[in-house]
Amino acid sequence: MTAAILIENILQALVAGLLIGAIYGLMCVGLALIFGIMRVINFAQGDFMMAGMYCAFFIFGPFGISALFGNVVGPYVAAILAGPVLFVAGYLVHLFLVSRVSGTNTATLEGEGHYAQLILTLGLALILTNGAMILFGSQPFSVRSPLAISAWEIGPLWGDRVSVFVNKSRTVSALISVATIAALGWLVARSRLGKALRASADNPTAAIYMGIDVDRSHRIAFGLGIAITAIAGGLLATNYSFHPYVGLEYVIVMYAGVVLGGMGSIMGAFWGGMTIGLIQQMSTLVLPTQLQNTAIFVIFLVIVFFRPQGFLGRSAERT
Amino acid sequence: MLEIEGLTAAYTHVPVLENVTIRVGAGQFVSIVGPNGAGKSTLFKTISGIVTPLSGKIRFEGRDVLAVPPPQRAHMGIAHVPEGRQVFPSLSVMENLEMGAYTEAGRGDWKENLEKILTWMPVLAERRNQLAGTLSGGEQQMVAIGRGLASSPKLLMLDEPSMGLAPAIADFIFDKLAEIRSQTNLTILLVEQRVAEALQTADHAYVLEAGRVVLEGTSETLQADDRVRLAYLGM
Repeated sequence: MTAAILIENILQALVAGLLIGAIYGLMCVGLALIFGIMRVINFAQGDFMMAGMYCAFFIFGPFGISALFGNVVGPYVAAILAGPVLFVAGYLVHLFLVSRVSGTNTATLEGEGHYAQLILTLGLALILTNGAMILFGSQPFSVRSPLAISAWEIGPLWGDRVSVFVNKSRTVSALISVATIAALGWLVARSRLGKALRASADNPTAAIYMGIDVDRSHRIAFGLGIAITAIAGGLLATNYSFHPYVGLEYVIVMYAGVVLGGMGSIMGAFWGGMTIGLIQQMSTLVLPTQLQNTAIFVIFLVIVFFRPQGFLGRSAERT
Repeated sequence: MLEIEGLTAAYTHVPVLENVTIRVGAGQFVSIVGPNGAGKSTLFKTISGIVTPLSGKIRFEGRDVLAVPPPQRAHMGIAHVPEGRQVFPSLSVMENLEMGAYTEAGRGDWKENLEKILTWMPVLAERRNQLAGTLSGGEQQMVAIGRGLASSPKLLMLDEPSMGLAPAIADFIFDKLAEIRSQTNLTILLVEQRVAEALQTADHAYVLEAGRVVLEGTSETLQADDRVRLAYLGM
């Protein structure tokens, strides 16, 4: 009897962790492009995600996606469309701001321009948060699909007792996350553009010798990283409400996921984010909800203690 | 083909190149020799656009190179095989070669070039899927040379291909270069500290010391020159 309830709770937390973990994974992959591969410290990543959420909201409502696709599918289409919009934003932010404190310009600066990046992106984060506050106010928004309050029941699995509820909206979001990562993985691993991006990150000077426009590669990678995180934001917005300060809650998760997965590894970042989602949901079995984030970081520290290079990171790269 | 005239470059007021004039004719093999810190690598970096000169001119097939943005220079047909190899460590051998073929000419000739490169350096075929960062120094040098050749260059610039390699491997690299040259008639500009080898394979050579061309001539003339023999050839 109690065993059945325990198993049910564990399975339920596992499913919830996998579903939310897929979205966290997507979020982390966005940051992995910027921080893990290009080594640009972007404090504003969470706030770009917040911008993606508002972007999805306005694409859904005022831009007529809800009228075109209906309330069920519309939120997901809006989340995906937030990607291209934020890509352009990220591209321009890199062109006019980030490029001045990163890449070939800063090779000779102290700390390779990381201090300047810290200040710049922290400033951007403040501008985005407060800008959103002025424009949209502090009341929570959401782009909730009716699917968010319906679930598939799997089971009963054991006798007539153990059954697991799988939230439909989160499942759709998780599937979109995985598809987005697969597409990005293909782009980075196989396409000419992706190879040029990796070459530019590996050795910018040699990339120029090959005829690769390294500055443009960096802009594209930055835009892509922002776009991916924005899509993750849009997907979160189909399940949760959001406000201008939401970025701060997630930016720490993103950095933890990237470090956990291993710097420079895109797939690693996905598994890092997935791990964080799982820990977060599983911890609710034994800990009060307020301690979710504490649990994440305790386990984060334990993993990093035993495997400092992360899951898929190489301990001695960049010869 | 390549004309460098009165080139002067400096790193924050310390002159590295002073009034350097060098000519490379089509099909020629030209060596630039000289001690450490003579400005040899800086000369190459200026041609590739990583260093901006204070004055002077660089022309390639009559075009003003300094007016072309650095990433576009590879597309003009200038391949730079940099000092210290500088392969892309997290890319596979094959992907490194593909990056060499980033130029339009390289993309067009990709299949033929790849076949030639793998025939010249069969070890690259064996290691095609290995990450370039995990290769030995000699193998990395072959990747770097293969990467340069994959761009279908008109001019191949080699910066100290023997650096950091065991003498036997360095000899092997020089033999390969001679073989490649004899089969392709490619124009080559070589910078080297191993003066004897550099002079042997070259048609024409320059001696660069403290940023100035102190001597130039056919390689026979230089090999016979007393100053060169004393300072570089140990004779």
